[in-house]
Amino acid sequence: MPKIEVPEKLFFELCGRTYTDDEMNDIFPVAKAELDGHGDGTVKIELNDTNRPDLWSVAGVARALRTYESGKIPSYDFFSSRDVTRDCGNRHHYNEESCLGVRDFSISFAAEGCIVTEELLVNLIQSQEKLCQNFGRKRKTIAIGIFRSDLITYPIHYIGADPDKTAFVPLGMTEKLTLREILEKHPKGREYGHIIADKPRYPYLFDDKGETLSFSPIINSAHAGAVEVGDRNLFVDISGPIIDDILLAANILACDMADMGFRILPVRVHLAKDTKYGREITVPYYFQEETQCSLDFVEKELGERLDAQECRAALQRMGVSSDVEDGVITIRCPEYRNDFLHAVDIVEDIMIGHGLARFEPVLPADFTKGQLLPSEEYARKVKTLMVGLGFQEMMYNYLGSRREYVDNMHISDEKVVFIANPMSENYEVVRPSILPSLLESESVSGHAVYPHRIFELGKVCYKDENDNSGTVTRNNLGFLAADNQMTFNDASSYVNTLLYFLRIDYRLESVEDDGRFIPGRAAKVVADGKVIGVYGEVHPQVLESWGCSMPAVMAEFDLDLMH
Amino acid sequence: MDIEVKNLHPLEVRLLRHVSPGEAITSDRLVSELGYKIGQCNQAFSWLTAKGLLSESSREKYTLYELTDTGRAQAGEGLPAERIFSYLKEHGAASLPDLAAALGLEQSEVGSAFGSLTGAGAARLDEERRAMATGDGLPEEVVLQKALIKKALEAPLREDGLTVQEKKAISRLAKKRGAAGSTFKVIEKEDVTYTLTGEGDRVKKELLEANITGEEFGLLTPQMIQTGSWKNGSFRPYGLNAPVSRLIPGRTNAYADYLQWVKDKLVSLGFEEFDGPLVVNEFWNGDALFMPQFHSARDIHDVYYIKDPVHAKSIEEPWLSRVARTHEDGGDTGSRGWGYTFDHEFTRRQIMRSQGTVLSATQLPKAKIPGKYFGIARCFRYDQVDATHGADFYQTEGIVVGKDVNLRNLLGLLRMFATEVAGAEEVKYVPGYFPFTEPSIEVHIKHPVLGWFELGGSGIFRPEVTKSLGLDVPVLAWGLGIDRMALMHLGLNDLRELFTPDIESVRMRRGN
Repeated sequence: MPKIEVPEKLFFELCGRTYTDDEMNDIFPVAKAELDGHGDGTVKIELNDTNRPDLWSVAGVARALRTYESGKIPSYDFFSSRDVTRDCGNRHHYNEESCLGVRDFSISFAAEGCIVTEELLVNLIQSQEKLCQNFGRKRKTIAIGIFRSDLITYPIHYIGADPDKTAFVPLGMTEKLTLREILEKHPKGREYGHIIADKPRYPYLFDDKGETLSFSPIINSAHAGAVEVGDRNLFVDISGPIIDDILLAANILACDMADMGFRILPVRVHLAKDTKYGREITVPYYFQEETQCSLDFVEKELGERLDAQECRAALQRMGVSSDVEDGVITIRCPEYRNDFLHAVDIVEDIMIGHGLARFEPVLPADFTKGQLLPSEEYARKVKTLMVGLGFQEMMYNYLGSRREYVDNMHISDEKVVFIANPMSENYEVVRPSILPSLLESESVSGHAVYPHRIFELGKVCYKDENDNSGTVTRNNLGFLAADNQMTFNDASSYVNTLLYFLRIDYRLESVEDDGRFIPGRAAKVVADGKVIGVYGEVHPQVLESWGCSMPAVMAEFDLDLMH
Repeated sequence: MDIEVKNLHPLEVRLLRHVSPGEAITSDRLVSELGYKIGQCNQAFSWLTAKGLLSESSREKYTLYELTDTGRAQAGEGLPAERIFSYLKEHGAASLPDLAAALGLEQSEVGSAFGSLTGAGAARLDEERRAMATGDGLPEEVVLQKALIKKALEAPLREDGLTVQEKKAISRLAKKRGAAGSTFKVIEKEDVTYTLTGEGDRVKKELLEANITGEEFGLLTPQMIQTGSWKNGSFRPYGLNAPVSRLIPGRTNAYADYLQWVKDKLVSLGFEEFDGPLVVNEFWNGDALFMPQFHSARDIHDVYYIKDPVHAKSIEEPWLSRVARTHEDGGDTGSRGWGYTFDHEFTRRQIMRSQGTVLSATQLPKAKIPGKYFGIARCFRYDQVDATHGADFYQTEGIVVGKDVNLRNLLGLLRMFATEVAGAEEVKYVPGYFPFTEPSIEVHIKHPVLGWFELGGSGIFRPEVTKSLGLDVPVLAWGLGIDRMALMHLGLNDLRELFTPDIESVRMRRGN
């Protein structure tokens, strides 16, 4: 979930009013936001909707609140669309064919008429970062460069360049490096280089005089790409492989900058390939499609009939203009949003705009039968018996180390499921058995009064090539008893008593080659021709590995085979 | 100190009832008058002085001479010197070895006894180095010794009751710590005398008043029941506040009890339990829930991948094709989809279940209409383990399937959970966001102890989820964060404690 920190003053200015913390707590949910902290002139906001990148900026949150409270939809006059093309003056931006397959699209717009302050710059960079990191999948699908447009000569050119023959001074450095050298030497190159490293050419943006703008998505040039406090005129470039995503990112930034006082200047972008919006797009560009939803559907979803007027008013508070004709709502998606995938997305905006508190809760009318799983019912039966036998129920984590689950148990790791990306070697293995968990208890509980009698009913997981996943999860019972004297006969008594009351007829078979038990003092429990469990005296080599000094017996049963 | 007379031990009771203020109380008196054993006297004295009911009035040290086994034998057959003297009188002179053999004495005994006879002039060696008696009678000291032995047969002799000659005579026959061969054992003794304190007298009167005699029955035995002897007396009461010895019972785990309670609660609300494997694939964990494959929560830094097998063999059809199309262009779900090319290899990649919603997804193709389902599922997240994050943890999730279920039903359900499961005082709903539900609702509750917190997330499954999995009716989906309540219930504040391996801590744990 993206979190942003915004200057209180700027935020309240953009909102058109101030808020107390309580008021923020009350109003923020309409933007699916939470107040994460407030102090020292800074408001911390957490944004929960990962499909609403327009909210990840001070201007975006303020716009949503302002619109909700006023019911007035903000209007932006700089958008071109299928029907309207705004004047772009001499501002042209050419994508050349050499960029195809490298990073297909680069688009841009310009902005002027506002002095860049420290505060504004910080917030602009924050919005840019959130868009690139969260929405742009760490620059993979969206990379944004902001430049000083006074230093730029149109038209702009975007090409796939030779990594070894193209060189410039990257931001944050003083020497000229080739694109390939930037990947190796520049911190941003090392961080994001993997996105384009294996391409034959690298994305490269420069102006008509040959001045470098950026090596997108890695780094701007030190010259035009170093925006500073006091600058007035900016140029914003957005590159990526998905046209809708970069158009949306451009629209969001343009609206944010407009809200902060900039005048947005469109740029005519000449793409290197055709898109559903044509090959030439004037950016910012309204590309969103109309979405529809019937009043009946709204009623079915929300459980309450709202009339056309109520729906329109609700949507309006969410910044969405709409028409209702013949019981069908048609919405116009705001320029800075693109989250109406389905009619249900309209329903949700109506719900929020109408006010969630206005819907009266009512229980579902259908009768359904409640029921535990048979495995749960059986486990409870087993639990009652184990408690009656004097055992303490334990509950354990299912992830552990190789040392605990394999090495200490003196078993092979052949059937053990390993994690490919463990966070630490302490959580690297899915437990194949309950027994190591019980032994861990024994190893840390020398201070607890003996005898120890413990058990767990839980899941284990191990490889099984017959299953589609190559693994199986089983519901097992494991128990362990430890004391000065604890023998195979004690274990036999527990097993015999348990299985008598579970109505399981069984026979015992000797256990061969099992490092966990003392040879000749362990048994496999066979019922209906299947091995349902194993028990015996814990081998002293196992006790030693765990650092236990008390003799112990242990047993494990596969409950799924028993009921 | 406040004395509860009922709690006094019979040894204390009988002593107190027997004595009066000003009297000297000694163990000798208790032995003779109450039939106590010395050990019992000591117990009674130590308990009663500790309680302030007796006080020590004097303490006297003295030495006792007590006959050893050897000494008691000598009382019958005579001292070695006496026997040698008699033998020589009767049989005439004899060599010392012959004397030893004839009298059954050790050579050394004969040597020292003969030495004492010659010293007193009662015997000497003749020319042939044989022993012979020289006097008419036994030496005076031996006579004295004989008398002392005789006297000691009745009771040990106090040293301060002996004459100077007697002391000298007895010292020759005694060794400290009683060497086996000597006649007397020397015992250093101390006699303590106690008197009743004022408080002791008060307690005594209370005992008399309450008619507590110290003769009450202790253990009820089978014999007492069989013979009916219990009818002839009363039973000694037990001290109610005496320390209790510890039992270690077989017990269920308090956290498991809580989860079981939640399960029972949900079953009572008409929910049917579901479950599934720990290892799942990206398809069911994310794709089927309409989470785009590039969604940030599906990153390598959020879920645990399985090392081997990396991929599931296959994904069930027709669900795979339907879900893939829904992601790409919405398919027949009425959605425009995510507009990217679905990755058929990624979808088979195996991971540790990261959200309980997998169970809901897998239930959808086989769900009854109407149907209500729930599961408490162990889930795994790529998180640094700390007080609020576990490597694995339980999620409580479920769905409600029904032709006409809607938002208001969802709110009704959440309110039911809030009061039934969480004991909430107030409920508040706020819009939420989950990739697989729209609308999405969070429910916040005001708990009597914890105050306001988010109890759970919920929503109506997106049609992209339900329709792709063959369901054409709305499905309400919900999840409850019950860990905070579980911790409060168990009086804990660290999630890691829920799965502690420490036996003692689990033994002592109890729910509220």
